Parts: sequence; C-alpha cells; structure tokens
Amino acid sequence: MRSIWAVARNTIRQALRMKIAAAFIVLLIILIPVMGLGITGDGTIKGKLQSFVTYSLALVSLLLSLLTIIVAAYSLADDIKQRRIYMVLTKPISRFELLAGKLLGVILLDLMLLVPLSAIIYGITIYIPVHNNATAQQMQTLDNEFFTARASIKPPEPDVTAEVRQLYEKLKAEKQLPEGVSYVDIINNLTQLKKLEKQAAGPGSEIRWQFDNIRITDPNQSLFIRYKYDVSVNPLDLNIQSGWMVGDLRQLPIIPEGRGSIYIFERRDLIRTFHELEVPANAVASDGHLEVAFLNLPTNNTVVIFPPGEGLELLYKAEGYTANFVKAVMMIFLRLVFLACIGIFAASFLSFPVAILLCLAVLCIATISGFILESFGYLSREIGTIYRFTVGLIIQMIPRFDQYNPSTYLVPARLISWPFLAKLVGLMICLQSFVIFLLSLLVFKFKEIARITV
Amino acid sequence: MTQNNEYAVETFSLTKVFSDLWGRTKVYAVNDLNLRVHHNEVFGLLGPNGSGKTTTIKVLLGLLHPTKGKTLVLGGDATDPKISARIGFLPEESYLYKYLTARETLDFYGRLFSLPRQVRKARIEALLEMVGLKAVANRQVGTFSKGMARRIGLAQALINDPDLLILDEPTTGLDPIGTRQIKDLILELAKRGKTVLLCSHLLADVEDICDRISILYGGRIQAEGQVRQLLQQTNKTQITSQTLSSRTIENIRKLIEAEHADFEVTSPMEKLETFFIRTVTEAQAGAVPTSGAVSTTMIGDFLAAEAAQKSILDKLVTADVSDKPGPAVETQKPAEVETSAVEPDKGLLDKLASEPELSQPVKTTEPAETKQADTRKVRDDVLEQLTGSQDKTEKQDQSDTDRGEQPDA
Repeated sequence: MRSIWAVARNTIRQALRMKIAAAFIVLLIILIPVMGLGITGDGTIKGKLQSFVTYSLALVSLLLSLLTIIVAAYSLADDIKQRRIYMVLTKPISRFELLAGKLLGVILLDLMLLVPLSAIIYGITIYIPVHNNATAQQMQTLDNEFFTARASIKPPEPDVTAEVRQLYEKLKAEKQLPEGVSYVDIINNLTQLKKLEKQAAGPGSEIRWQFDNIRITDPNQSLFIRYKYDVSVNPLDLNIQSGWMVGDLRQLPIIPEGRGSIYIFERRDLIRTFHELEVPANAVASDGHLEVAFLNLPTNNTVVIFPPGEGLELLYKAEGYTANFVKAVMMIFLRLVFLACIGIFAASFLSFPVAILLCLAVLCIATISGFILESFGYLSREIGTIYRFTVGLIIQMIPRFDQYNPSTYLVPARLISWPFLAKLVGLMICLQSFVIFLLSLLVFKFKEIARITV
Repeated sequence: MTQNNEYAVETFSLTKVFSDLWGRTKVYAVNDLNLRVHHNEVFGLLGPNGSGKTTTIKVLLGLLHPTKGKTLVLGGDATDPKISARIGFLPEESYLYKYLTARETLDFYGRLFSLPRQVRKARIEALLEMVGLKAVANRQVGTFSKGMARRIGLAQALINDPDLLILDEPTTGLDPIGTRQIKDLILELAKRGKTVLLCSHLLADVEDICDRISILYGGRIQAEGQVRQLLQQTNKTQITSQTLSSRTIENIRKLIEAEHADFEVTSPMEKLETFFIRTVTEAQAGAVPTSGAVSTTMIGDFLAAEAAQKSILDKLVTADVSDKPGPAVETQKPAEVETSAVEPDKGLLDKLASEPELSQPVKTTEPAETKQADTRKVRDDVLEQLTGSQDKTEKQDQSDTDRGEQPDA
C-alpha cells in the first residue's frame, strides 16, 4: 500500500511540476468567470444560467478529460521510454502496485482540480441572478425551474401487442402483407405505428395520460408538465392551440368534494420546442393518481404528435439544486476515472503519441456512441450484424458519455437520483474501468520492460 | 540475512536471444551462461561493449525474460518483493525523475521500500552526506551534472541497506575522487558482509576491488577466477624499498646475477589517480568554491550495525588490506572454501575488521603479497592527504568543495 501511495504522490508531483496541469488550470480559471459574466443565452436569467452551466461544465469536463488522458499516458509511457522504470520495478513493488499508484495519482489530481473548479461554477450560478438584479418573482421562477432537482415520471408505454396481432391477422386475411419482408420486421413496424397512433391526436380529438404513485412531499410545490409537439402539417404560424385538463379525471363528470382539484389551461405553443405547464400539487389525488388530458383544438387543422420517449413527462421537485449539482460533478468524475484507466491501458503497450491517439479515439467514440449505435440501424441486415458484434461490442466496453451528460440533467433541473448514480458507478467503475485496468495489468505483467523496440 | 543458498547469484545455462518482429533470431546477447556469485564477495563481470553484461543483469532483475535457462538471486526470483527488498541496483545510467530534488528522489525510493519515516529520514541525510550532495539536496536532479546524477543513483541503491548490490558501470561519469570513493565504498561494504556484483569494462577499477571476475565475450564466459590468481606473474619478483645507496644496489645486482636473472632499477612512478586526488585535496584545503559535488569520506552509518565513527579510509588503515575476504585459490569447489571462511553475521565481520590479526590467513602466493603491499602504500598516500585535511574541511563546511564532475578540465 505504501508503495502505491509513493507512486501516486510522484505522479501528482510530475503533473504539477512539469506544468502539464498548469496550462489547463490557467485556461479554466480565466474562461469560466468570463463565460459566467458574458453569456446571454436566450436573454432571460434562466437562459443565462442554463447556457452557463452547459458550457462551463462541458469545458471543465473536456479539458480535464484531455488532461487525464495526457497525464495518465505520459506518466507511464515516459517512465518506460526514459527507462526510469528500471529503477522502480527493481524495488519491492509489484507491477500491479505501480499501475495502481499511477492510476490513483491521476484520479487524485483530477479530484484536486475538479472540486475547486466545480465550486467556482456553482458559486457563479448562484451569483448570476444577483448580478442580473432578479426580481422576487423571477427568483421564484428560478427556484422552481432551475435551482431545484425535479424527479421525472414518464407515462407508461401503452401495451399494443393485442392490437398489433389483430391488425396483422386482418392484413394477412386481406392479403395486404408486403412481399419479401420477414414476420419480425412487419410486427416491429406495426408496433411502432400503433404506438405513434396512441401519441397522436387529430384535429378536435384528445389524448389522455395516467400517472400513478406520485409522492408529493410539500403540498405547496408545483408540478410541471414538460412537453413537445410534432405535427403532420406545419401550421402557418408554427403554433398549436391546445386545451389541457390536469387533475384526478376519474371523478368526471361529477366532481365530489375533497378529491383534488382539476385545472384547465388554454395554451398556444411553438412546435418542436419543449414547454412546461405549471400545475399546483393539489391536482394529485390522495392516492397519488393524476391524469393529463390534451385536446387538439379543431382550428389547428393538423395532427399533433407527442414524439415517443420525450413527448411528455411529469416533473416534480424531489431534491435541492446543491445536491443535484454535486451529483452532476460526480458524473464528470466517473468519466475521468474511466479515461485514466484508458490512459494507463494505452501506455502499457504503446508509446506516448500512439497511446494519446488511442485515448482520443476512445473519447470521441464514447462521446458519439449513441449516434454510432443508431447508425447501425440504417445498414443492411448482414452488415449491421457484423458491425453490431464488432464495433458494437467495443462500444459496450466504453461508457456512453453522450447519454450520461450532466448538462442534460442540470439544464431542465432534472433529478439525478442516487439509484441512477449507483448504476453509473457500477457500470463505469466496477465494470468498464475495472475491465480496462485488468487488461492493462495483464499486458503490463508480462511485458519485457527493458526490451527496446525501435 | 538468510543464506540457506550457496550462491548469492546463480544462473543456469542462461540464454537471451533478441529476435526481430517476425521471431527470427537476430543476436545471442547471452549464450548458455552459468554464473555463480558467492555470498560476501565482490564479483566483477567484465567484457567489451555489447558482450552481454547489462543484458545478464537485466535478466537477473526480471527486466528481461530469459529465452532459456533460469536465474536465482538470493535464492529466489528478484521480482519477488521479499527478495528485491534486499537488492540495491544501480543501472548503467542514473534514470531519475528530473523534477524531483535530490532529497525527494531518495525519499521516493525509500518509500518504495516501505521504510518507516524515521529510518527513511535518517538514511536520506546520511546518504546525502556520504555522496557529497548535501549542499544541493534541494535542487532538482534535472539540473545535475552526469556525475552528480550518478552519485544520487548510488545513494538510492543503498537506501535499503541491501545484502546484494548490483552495480552496472558504477564509475561512469564520475571524477577520479568519486571513482575512488565508490571503490572504497564497495570494499567497505564487502567487509561488512554484503555481496557486490559489479559490471564494468574499466579494468583498473575492477582490478582494485574485485575478488573474482568473469570475462564475457559474445555472451559466453571466456575466463573466470580470482583476480590475484589470474594476474600473478609467477615468473617475476618485485622488491620495493626506500631509496637505496648505489653500493647496496651493486650488492643486490651481484646477488641476482648469481641466480642468472635479469633485473632493472627505477624509481616507481606515482599513479595518476593518486596525484590527482592529492592536487584536489590541496585545493579543498585552500577553500576554492565549487557548485558541484563535495568529496567526503563518510559512509552511511546505517549500512552496518557498527556506527562508522571514523571515515572509511581510516578504517582501511587500521584494517589490513589483506583482511578483505580473500577467497581461497580457485579450486574445483571454490564455494565451500568461501562459505566456510565467510560468516554472514555483521557483528562478527566488524570484529574481524578491527582485529585483523585474527582474521583468516591470507592464502596467496608470494608475488601477490608484493602487489598487495604496493596497493596499500598507494592507499596510505591518499589517506594522508584526505584524512589530514578532513578536520579542516569539516569546519569549513560546504565552502571548500571541488568541481568534481569535470576532471579533465
């Protein structure tokens, strides 16, 4: 253990004294406050906050990712290249301890930089409303919509298997099934069609969503319905007029006393943009039931579709902003730990420049992994399968940075729950980082250290 | 210090082949090498450049994998932490972390040995003092000259008070005084029960300190044996004395001519090394400032049970030179003679050192004796210079130093 600590200390010293870290720190210290004061967003204070949090966290995350890769790969690769490792490995230190020490050093360095930098970002977000002389009402809005952590409930996916089967049988009887398409493909297509149907409303018709088990802690708080429209035909002014009814609609048409209030809204919203509808918490019935009904007013003259997955969700306050911000920073930290493992792994068998190249490739793939996986769907079946079992498998070993981006949680003030974070730790640290570290240990254990390869 | 093994270092038909990318044999760096280093001896591995010395050492230490054969270091595998904790290693160059200061460098290596804080601190100070870098202890080693880096390299090899010291070209880059110090240090360590495996092509160094040597060429042992035995010219006799009157010389000539032998009379030449050391010591006494390493005659106290009150050179005066564990004449089974003669217990060794008369008899033949006496005379010379100025240098502290790294300036 002592030798691990000795190596870790030495690695931190190396990064600090060789001024690798200095360039990054100076850049961040200058950029973050400038960004905080100069950023405008969409003009509102909330917009400023959202843009600032997005860009500053992305910047810190990116620069620290690069720093992590460079320090981790340099520390090991240069020790081997400069042969300093001869004088280290001949001491009573196992190769595992050496790698673990390097890894620990890089991780501690990351912590040393990440903690103060995120504290600065946090401080600036708190200061931005003050700096912009926010009124009490604006502060109220910000507290509800930015300085909070809201849990999200999505409506359960409708079960359409019976309807799909029915439709399939009907098409088969009418001999309208397309030729040369497999059964699975037809069923998949029909399922998608039916699901979309459930989320679409023609002019004058309505959609209802039901939510259960909503736990309201504070009766004075608000609920938020976050939604986005897609349309079949663009309306002239790109706006959709709608009527909303939110509450315990089971009681309709008669309203008995004490079953919670029903709220009715009339809205006019831009299409393909997220909007939020604030609803007082007493709309939720005492058993946690809530219904939301959307009416597509006939004047719209178009079909309104709520895109599956992100079309509509219910948000309610579950935690404070500070705790959520800390968890967002922890997400960045997990990413850095993984990158440190990749850096060590690359340096265990590659020279410094090549190792850096490999690490950057991994970073890029991790950042656009969603896009890559999605693109397989557009390939032909055979080619797609080949990719899925080669590139796809590699991507499985790499965390999906695009999916676990802290900004996607902080900007809509969405709660990062502990179970979710625990899942991330399990996946990124206990599984992916561990496997990579094990691989580097395996490579390094049998490496002929003094072998000079030209 | 367990010595249930016969040899400190042993290789069994060790072969190391370097092959190219396609696995084709390119070069036999070491070829069927059977090396045996006894406990408590100074063993020299000699050979021209590229003869496989360094490769052998790297295989011994687990930095390279043998193609064939096996090695035993202190009875085990050198990569085993229990074994490597007892080894001190100085590679052919000092590969140091340039951004660390001299003190931090030693601290880092001390930590790798998991030395307790107190011990570490004490040893670091003793070693810095010993290698003469105390005054520059807080300077980053990247700014050091080659010789100073070498001194730090030597210090880190000693920080664990090793039983086996493996030194690859220890004197490269060092000034003559540094070279001298290292040689004296090696002798002193050997006297204190350590085993030293030395790798060099500087024959003068090896000749002065090694008990046994192996000469490698093409990855094979070409010659092996005791230095004294290998170098003895049994057909010659050398007599050294104070200046004689021409009458005495004439008498001697008559005596020798009676035996029908040739002879010549000259004044012996002083060794350049001796001359150089004397010059620098005089400069030291004159307090010429230097930014380089300081020459000291200290040895780290911790390196042996006995506290080294006196300087190492003082010790050499009191202890007869021949007292250093001289192994027996090369026989079929030299190891048995060796191990029975050398007792690993440090206390006893120190006792032996202070009571030279009681130590093992010198098993050498006549001409070797003369050579020994000669060596000793040279040493006395140096001693007078160094010990004479020792008191002064201590008072003047760091100011009187020498620009040691550039001997040929």
